[in-house]
Amino acid sequence: MHNPYLPYPVRIAMIRVETEDKNLRTFKFEFLNPGDEEKFAYLPGQFAELSVPGQGEIPIGIASSPTEKGSVLFTVNRVGQVSTFMHCMKEGDIMGLRGPLGHPYPLDTLKGKDILIIAGGFAVTTLRSTIVWMLQPENRPKYGKITFVYGARTPGLLLYKEEWSDWQKRDDIDVHVTVDREAPGWTGRVGFVPAITKEVCPPPKNTAAIICGPPVMIKFTQPVLEEAGYSTDDIIMSLENRMKCGLGICGRCNVGPEYVCKDGPVFTLTQLNQLPKEY
Amino acid sequence: MAEYTVKDKLSFLKAAAGSGRRLLAPSSKDGRVRLAEVTPDRVAFDYLNTHLSPKDAFFPQTEKMLAFHKDAAKPGAFVYQPLGLDKIQPTVVFGLRPCDARGLAVCDRVFQNDRFTDPYWKTKYEGAVKIGLACQAPGPNCFCTAVGGSPFGEDGLDVLAFTKGEGLGLKTLTPAGDEFLKGLSGLESGGAAGEMDGLKKAAESRLPGPLDLAKAQAAPVMEIYNQPHWKETADRCLNCGTCTFFCPTCHCFDIQDEENERGGVRMRNWDTCMSWLYTIHGSGHNPRPTKTERVRQRFMHKLKYIPLKQGGACGCVGCGRCVQHCPVNIDIRAVAVDMSK
Repeated sequence: MHNPYLPYPVRIAMIRVETEDKNLRTFKFEFLNPGDEEKFAYLPGQFAELSVPGQGEIPIGIASSPTEKGSVLFTVNRVGQVSTFMHCMKEGDIMGLRGPLGHPYPLDTLKGKDILIIAGGFAVTTLRSTIVWMLQPENRPKYGKITFVYGARTPGLLLYKEEWSDWQKRDDIDVHVTVDREAPGWTGRVGFVPAITKEVCPPPKNTAAIICGPPVMIKFTQPVLEEAGYSTDDIIMSLENRMKCGLGICGRCNVGPEYVCKDGPVFTLTQLNQLPKEY
Repeated sequence: MAEYTVKDKLSFLKAAAGSGRRLLAPSSKDGRVRLAEVTPDRVAFDYLNTHLSPKDAFFPQTEKMLAFHKDAAKPGAFVYQPLGLDKIQPTVVFGLRPCDARGLAVCDRVFQNDRFTDPYWKTKYEGAVKIGLACQAPGPNCFCTAVGGSPFGEDGLDVLAFTKGEGLGLKTLTPAGDEFLKGLSGLESGGAAGEMDGLKKAAESRLPGPLDLAKAQAAPVMEIYNQPHWKETADRCLNCGTCTFFCPTCHCFDIQDEENERGGVRMRNWDTCMSWLYTIHGSGHNPRPTKTERVRQRFMHKLKYIPLKQGGACGCVGCGRCVQHCPVNIDIRAVAVDMSK
């Protein structure tokens, strides 16, 4: 019988400090056992439990795209016991990976649509996965215009700089990266995500928006999209809650009758409008 | 399915204990009846229900799930391995009350949900033949009939038994129950079902009528969620978690790691949604920050969310334990009435 509590053993192949405050590190994992990578078949938007023996587990969105074979990528904010321990681990160390868990973004129903991707702070992780996936030559023709709005408080808090710098050079994605205030050396946009969204969002007809960010960003971006005429069916969000099992069993992550882990974490705004704001 | 009678309860229990399965049955210890591994002569019959719900037999209060070692000289250092799954003994559980068996069935649909199967639960739950003992004299706190159950309910059982003089009447309900009774000696065929119908009607007549849950279950989630009565119930509640501890359908757990210099284990422990720690994020944000949200969560889960997710099945089975043990007399029946106003 498959044991969904049993993590796949992985080796930390690479650690990269992502932000100037050093609170975010990206971990690249390689599976120890041949065959486990195939079993860990995922799509953008799903998450996994990062499992540190003796310390515990944390649910983290998968930052890599399944098209990036050979490894899986996660960016971890240092917050509690497990993430702090992970920030002290070294390349080569052994830990576990349990998943994939949750549902991906609705990549199939988004086919043929223009896509607006809005990210704030380090919530950009699963959206990195989505963009990398959509920009693959075999996937790119399935989608219309792709617009990416990404903001952070300061330039030093933006993740994946090399990647979005590369995307800025492409003509098949519009990238708008912004920081809250002017900063030395920053030549890009300045302003909050809702304001930039208002400026650059494509017309709502046949467009779907995926939003991930801190609650304050979502609170002010949602009205911008609604004013622009986006239907709540076309506003897609990913929730976070405290989790343990990730399997819809241990109980704690429910939002109304839905478990964020098993039934989410991806929900449309239509769905969320019918649920308590317990997230 | 088949029906049987036995003239002598003890010889039936001896046959069950001699079947090669471990016998779990109610027995008295320190003045309280609990479900435990017992010899046939110690099995209690004069109990309203076990003090605690039987969920611990399939979902222990503390359960080690995985283990790892740190010895780099040996293979598999820092790699978790499953624990205990190969040591599950085939069991026969005798004396489950129908409310509790129904509660276990509610848990089973969580532990084996539409996407995942919990092997620690499944091996124990499905590895057990579950023999219920009908409630011919329901207790003062019982209200199974108020929430769709019966003192002779069959949900979640393989066999339903009732006391018949010094013996038992038995009705099999599943192939597993059939198989088990077929292998036992001393059973006479027939003579149970007719009598059972009469006893069932008599026992049901002593219990309350159904609660009107239709409105609460038909209304949108947010309509019930935003009702004003939650704060009043929460004002009394101490968030002590007694209700969740006793409840046969409360299945929440925490997962914790423990380690020493040689290795460690990952275990799960019963948890409670009454605790503020239960939902708090690493950031300090808490989606259910006050007692009101936590109290509402428990009753919404039992009476609204579980029915929504389990095809109408109520998350409360009317065992009455939470009503009996709540230190501030919160009564789920009164809350259900408030929800349906």
